[in-house]
Amino acid sequence: MQSKDTQLKIDPVCGMDLSEYVDVAEIHHQEKKFYFCGNGCEDRFKKDPDKFQGEPLIKLDNVWKIFKLGDTETKVLRGLNLHIWEGDFVVIIGSSGSGKSTALNMIGFLDRPTSGQIFLNGEDVSSLNDDKRAELRSKTFGFVFQQYNLISWLTAYENVYLPLVFSGKKIKADKLETHFEEMGMRERMTHHPFELSGGEQQRTALLRALVNDPEIILGDEPTGNLDSANGNKILEILIDLNKNRKKTLVIVTHDDGIAEKADQIITFKDGHLVRDHQAHKKAYTE
Amino acid sequence: MLKNFLILTLKSIRCRSTRSWLTILGIVIGVMLVVIILTLSSGIKNTIAGALQTFGSDLIIIFPGKENNPIVGFLAGQKFKERDLVDLEKINGVKSAVPMGIGNLNIEYNGEVKSIMIHAANWKKYVEVLESSQGIKLENGRWPENDDVSEVVFGHLAAKTLFKKEVGVGDEVIIKSKRFKVVGNLTEIGEQMIDNVIFVSLDMLGSLTDSRGASSALVKIMPGANINLVAQQIKFQLSKQEVIRDFSILTPDKADRLIDNIISIVELVLMIIALVSLVVGAVGIMNTMYTSVLERTKQIGVMKAIGASDDAILSLFLIESGFIGLVGGILGIFFGILSAYIISLAAAGFGIRGLFSFASLDFFGLFVVLFFTFIIGVVSGVLPARQASRMEPAEALRYE
Repeated sequence: MQSKDTQLKIDPVCGMDLSEYVDVAEIHHQEKKFYFCGNGCEDRFKKDPDKFQGEPLIKLDNVWKIFKLGDTETKVLRGLNLHIWEGDFVVIIGSSGSGKSTALNMIGFLDRPTSGQIFLNGEDVSSLNDDKRAELRSKTFGFVFQQYNLISWLTAYENVYLPLVFSGKKIKADKLETHFEEMGMRERMTHHPFELSGGEQQRTALLRALVNDPEIILGDEPTGNLDSANGNKILEILIDLNKNRKKTLVIVTHDDGIAEKADQIITFKDGHLVRDHQAHKKAYTE
Repeated sequence: MLKNFLILTLKSIRCRSTRSWLTILGIVIGVMLVVIILTLSSGIKNTIAGALQTFGSDLIIIFPGKENNPIVGFLAGQKFKERDLVDLEKINGVKSAVPMGIGNLNIEYNGEVKSIMIHAANWKKYVEVLESSQGIKLENGRWPENDDVSEVVFGHLAAKTLFKKEVGVGDEVIIKSKRFKVVGNLTEIGEQMIDNVIFVSLDMLGSLTDSRGASSALVKIMPGANINLVAQQIKFQLSKQEVIRDFSILTPDKADRLIDNIISIVELVLMIIALVSLVVGAVGIMNTMYTSVLERTKQIGVMKAIGASDDAILSLFLIESGFIGLVGGILGIFFGILSAYIISLAAAGFGIRGLFSFASLDFFGLFVVLFFTFIIGVVSGVLPARQASRMEPAEALRYE
């Protein structure tokens, strides 16, 4: 963990801790010094310096996650610092085991950090009790998983309805049907997951993630199990949600195609953010 | 909310129906036993009370052996001297003392051989006691004229059902290669000990079994005499005879209590068995719930990810286990009543009537049973459900 005397060099945009880097880009703005990772954050900052001096929507501050299995300890997140800004389309990339899914779980209250703090709209939420966390999950987050994770003994319609059962929110049946219609799944509403194709299952899962009208949509490789046609369809919907309905979108992926469309690319290695010029070059030069 | 949870639970139970039904079966068996015992015990008590009534309220029964285990005395074949018993008539308040024998012999009729219980007494006194105190009447024929004739009287069921061909007055039966003439049969009393036996004289039984003496006695007391006082005097006088050291003197009151005790013990034992089987059923529910928590770990993760609180998960599992308990209870009660009904029908076939009637169902008791099974279900589900609700969603989602 970091000692307190080291001056932290935190990228205000992506939140990366740059203390250990020597060739850090720095700019002065309104007599303050800012450090940048060099992955395009500098450009974003310059466009809207006021915004990036405020509170990010989500802030992970020195978050550690250590899994213990018997005597072996696996440090999955090692002092992770990360910012997510409202309305952003953030793509998290990194090799397997780099901690990106775990980080996504932290963001969405699916897991508790071993140490460190998580802020949502500036409020420390890392020590909330289970009930509060469940409530926030239900109100704020919509999850889409690689494995779709539909409940097998419920129909597509019931799967989408399920979050409403837990949140207590009411939605008219015909409104829900319209959503299915929009996804081109009206005829498939009464089918069980095993009767649906992968693409249909993922679209159902997407509807389920959206039914409580969450602020933030989290996707853990949402297109990972789909062929490119179906994957692109899901991606289009997701991006549309981000662009036209102002949903903050955080997606963990291996897919370079997704990364190209993002506002912000975050690269994970060994449990924290790293500079990754390659990914950015690729994304921003096109 | 609750309605949605119920629907959810039903759907999830339906997707694992075989295991759910087997678990329910575990509860059904326990509840069934409890219900059978509950519904039949009052019937059995009534039937036995009825049997005691036919013995008459002015009769004292004397038999060898201790009061609490009369069977041993009978089996040991201990017998009183007839003289000692007849002498009881000298006691003030005793109207008559009838020495009786009891035996179990093979009887042949129309080529068929059957074993039957035989009651034996001195005809003259016995008939009086039977008719006046026990309300036993001849349906056909007559009583034997004296103790020396080879004549026999059949109880109602013995005549009707013992042999393929009904035994009628005037027929001949063979007991121990001796011919007996059937001179009468009795009306139905609704009591095995009378209906399903045959009657001969005590002397005849003695010669048939080669053993003299009486294995028991009926003492009829004078109207207005104090039955307990007479019983004490009998006890005192009999203690002077030397043949049998342990004997019992049973007044109707005492018999009532004795039989009540026996039934209570039997009931208690059966209840314990039933409760043990209920506990086993509860463990079954717990087992099923643990398996289902394990099986649905990932689903629990998903539900939490889409906003289910710990309480919601807890409720889902508790509703499920409570439901299993409740359905087990309902089915158990249904099959319990059905079994009791079938048992009572079968018993009626053997001449034991009135064991069960729908009118005498104890609805409050059944409701308590139902409530209890629901609680059993919920309680057995608490531990697994808590385990399920406390899972960290990310951890649960990783589970395959």
